[in-house]
Amino acid sequence: MKLLSSIHVLLTSVFRQRQIEREMEEELRLHLASRADDLERQGLPRAEAERQARIEFGGYERYKDECRDALGWQIFSEVLADVRYGLRQLRHAPGFALTAFLMLALGIGATTSVFSVLDAVLLRPLPFRDPSRLVLIKENVNKLSDRINLPAPDVLTFAQQSKAFNHVGGFERGEVELSGSGEPVRLASARLTADVLPALGVTPLLGRSFTAEEDDHGQAVALLSYALWQARFHGDPKVLGAHLDIDRKPYVVIGVMPSDFEFPVLAGRLNHTAIWKPMSFSPQERADTGDNFQYGAVARIKPGFTRAQAEQDANRVAAAIQAEYPAAMGIRVSASLIPLQDDAVENARPLLRVLFGAVIVVLLIACANLAGLLLVRGVRRRREIAVRQALGASGGTLLRYSTMESLLVSVIGGALGLVLAWACLRWWVSLLPESLPRVGEIRLNWEVSLFALAATLATGLLCGIAPGLAALRSSANEALKQGARSVAAHARLRSVLVVGEIATALVLVTGAGLLLRSFARMSAVDPGFEPVHALAAAFDLPAERYQTQPQVNSFQEELLRRLNTLPGVKSAALATNLPMAEPTSTRFFVAEDYYPPAGSSYAVESHAYVVGDFLQTMHIPLLRGRYLNAGDTADAPLVVVVSRALAERYWPGQNPIGKRIHWGVDERSSLPWLTVVGEVANTRQGPLDSEAWPQVYEPLVQFDRSFGPEAKALGVHGGSMRIAVRAAGDPRPLANAVRRTVWSLDPQLAVSNLQTMEHAIRQSQVPRRFNTAVLSAFALGAVLLAALGIYGVIAFSVAQRTQEIAVRMALGAQPAGVLRLVLGSGARLAALGCLLGLAGAASVTRLMQSLLFDVSPFDPVVFAAGAAVVLLLTLAASFLPARRAAGIEPMEALRAE
Amino acid sequence: MDTTAQILPGTLDLLILKAVSLGPLHGYGVLLRIGQISNGALLIEQGALYPALFRLVRQGLLKAKWGSSENKRRAKYYGLTAAGQKRLREEADGWNRLATAIGAALKARPEEV
Repeated sequence: MKLLSSIHVLLTSVFRQRQIEREMEEELRLHLASRADDLERQGLPRAEAERQARIEFGGYERYKDECRDALGWQIFSEVLADVRYGLRQLRHAPGFALTAFLMLALGIGATTSVFSVLDAVLLRPLPFRDPSRLVLIKENVNKLSDRINLPAPDVLTFAQQSKAFNHVGGFERGEVELSGSGEPVRLASARLTADVLPALGVTPLLGRSFTAEEDDHGQAVALLSYALWQARFHGDPKVLGAHLDIDRKPYVVIGVMPSDFEFPVLAGRLNHTAIWKPMSFSPQERADTGDNFQYGAVARIKPGFTRAQAEQDANRVAAAIQAEYPAAMGIRVSASLIPLQDDAVENARPLLRVLFGAVIVVLLIACANLAGLLLVRGVRRRREIAVRQALGASGGTLLRYSTMESLLVSVIGGALGLVLAWACLRWWVSLLPESLPRVGEIRLNWEVSLFALAATLATGLLCGIAPGLAALRSSANEALKQGARSVAAHARLRSVLVVGEIATALVLVTGAGLLLRSFARMSAVDPGFEPVHALAAAFDLPAERYQTQPQVNSFQEELLRRLNTLPGVKSAALATNLPMAEPTSTRFFVAEDYYPPAGSSYAVESHAYVVGDFLQTMHIPLLRGRYLNAGDTADAPLVVVVSRALAERYWPGQNPIGKRIHWGVDERSSLPWLTVVGEVANTRQGPLDSEAWPQVYEPLVQFDRSFGPEAKALGVHGGSMRIAVRAAGDPRPLANAVRRTVWSLDPQLAVSNLQTMEHAIRQSQVPRRFNTAVLSAFALGAVLLAALGIYGVIAFSVAQRTQEIAVRMALGAQPAGVLRLVLGSGARLAALGCLLGLAGAASVTRLMQSLLFDVSPFDPVVFAAGAAVVLLLTLAASFLPARRAAGIEPMEALRAE
Repeated sequence: MDTTAQILPGTLDLLILKAVSLGPLHGYGVLLRIGQISNGALLIEQGALYPALFRLVRQGLLKAKWGSSENKRRAKYYGLTAAGQKRLREEADGWNRLATAIGAALKARPEEV
């Protein structure tokens, strides 16, 4: 009932608002008229009687206000009335309203939408049921490492013995060759135990997932990714039951996964896993106690268990596992649980933090501009407020009016901003490739949206209340007398705002500048080889078909022979590793005359076996000694070529030629010594901004002997190789010839990563290019907003000082002098802002250290250039009003007042 | 000696109720009636009457009705509701008791204490 009646009151108050106002007016008028009649009857002239009646009545507006207050239940309609009043005010100042709306809309719209997309792309929410309960089980093994993957038997032990999990699934990433239908390709794949999909809570889009029996019995069944299904089978549902050749073995397709399914989840980047097979551990894998820590384990915590309890349970199992390990190994094992979500986003955090900071800065600058606009507005309305005050309007009413207007501006601007953000978001998303998982689920980030709204509302509220209070404190009389001259305090406040804006914009510009310089530094890094006219590809000989070493060797020899005779090819060679986008391959070795510092581990490097003139083909410069050549045969003395980084680390200041190394970690082992015959420039395994690891190049033909008696156990080697081709001209037309040459030897063999080395370098730069572009865009926005802010301040002060300037000019000041005067006031603000900005930048750029390359966070060039850019832009912004000031016609301006 | 007095806070409502209890009045009429019954001894700013009238209507002590005034103008007439009557009685009693008590206190002589 209470609710109903209050709704009734609300509705009547809304609809009867006008009538009530009218009646109130009528009633008060009647009073004045009646009183005037009485006074006239007492002998006063009519005009005098009316005046007397008004005086006796007291403050007309004030009593009207009090009557409204007395009605009480009208609060809602009062707000409406205020809103109407505010809107009317805004209609009278369209320039002001439009500027404020646009600035807020752009400030909020652009930043919020960009951040939402980045946030969604980088922090993709996991497409699994209740992902917060999913964890990865990791082992901490003394002597090895913390938080590493598990040996196969441990995965099974966790699955069988833990009590805190609903499912424990094991997985391993890999690559497979898919052939049989269409061109052979290499695809990312994963082996999963039957428990993985139930743990994730995901079911196939089509068909079914594999059963525990199929997993145990090594059934050749496979699940396809949505992308593969579309690309290779055109979305044909009849793919279920079809046969595929995976690594030359026939598999039956039993299901297609949903388009947003991704597993294993890779930190910060997309995972193009296309085929999932049953794990089907081999007997050898099952026997790998305490060895091959390479299997992931994902588990779902049972309802009712906290993560801490689950971890306790996992450690109980780990203790059982440790008991299984041979005591002689002296291994201690404990378990750690890592939330799957954390694991997936770890790498993206620093970038997101910086971007979030950038968004906040741009928003704050937009709010500072809004505050500036509102303050100007407050100054302009000072007189009007004073008049109302003199007419008896109560302080509360005036405060309400002035607050309402600025609140309206911020609410409308904020709402427009969110609408624009939403529209931009749709637009960004339409630009993203459709293959990006869960593109359709990208939503406005509510944290940033809320922050944007809260910041604008707070600005509106503060900027409405502050001038209102100031006006109330000073007496109405004074304000009326002073008119618009009492603006000094506001001008100071606005100057403070602008200085703040310039300072924060400079912080962002400096950050972007550091990234730009990092990018330039990275581009300037010598890749250590000649990327122009170089082409690369990769192949993986399936072990099913290439079972013996002679088979592999003859394939390689024949391939190189054919490639080298291709027209347009200067030379071709093979290696197990190419510069740029390859994982590092770590191997332990012992260097002669080198004693590792106490407590540190043995030497580690990144190595490559080569076939043919690989170093010459890649144009990796020779620094000392000689390249590997045809004389380094299987029977010749064992030789290696090392990179400069290796030579500098292990034999600093010495000539590495003639030094010797051998594989393994034991100085006293019987493995044969390999002699260093050459030193070449550093190349990088990753992007150019990654570290140049020590490298070793070794002839593949000497593989067997370099491992001595242990080589037999290593089996067939050289099946997985990279092709390097040096072309006479543009290498791109050669790509097809290379592919056909491979297929002429083995029509089912997939050729992967076929690309020019220039392309490989560009690809490796993509993440940094992306970071740099985004932060630069934010910085540009910040500087433009700050320039807008300084323009507003200077333009307003010129408008205020028109008279003063006119007087100066009438007294003989030259336009150039006026120009200097105005520019000078802009320059002062800009200089102060830049000083503060530099100090601010110096204190925060340290936070982005991890995103920088070869640039100090305090790089003086970047700081100076950033300050110069901001200074110039703000000066340019104050130039327009300065020119207007210089063009003032003194007589006209003076007459206008 | 000044025979007028500033009105005490809270007494305006009582005076309005009293004025209206003698028959429905419009706003200006209430003012005149208060002047009349207090022999012009109470001064208020005339405008202050209206917020008080609005408040009393809202509290349900007065009821308002539009009618025509003696010189044929449309006017809003205020009358006492039952609740208003009750309130008037209570307030009047309260005032009388207070006035008696204060009066007695002021008449007290030193030897009576």
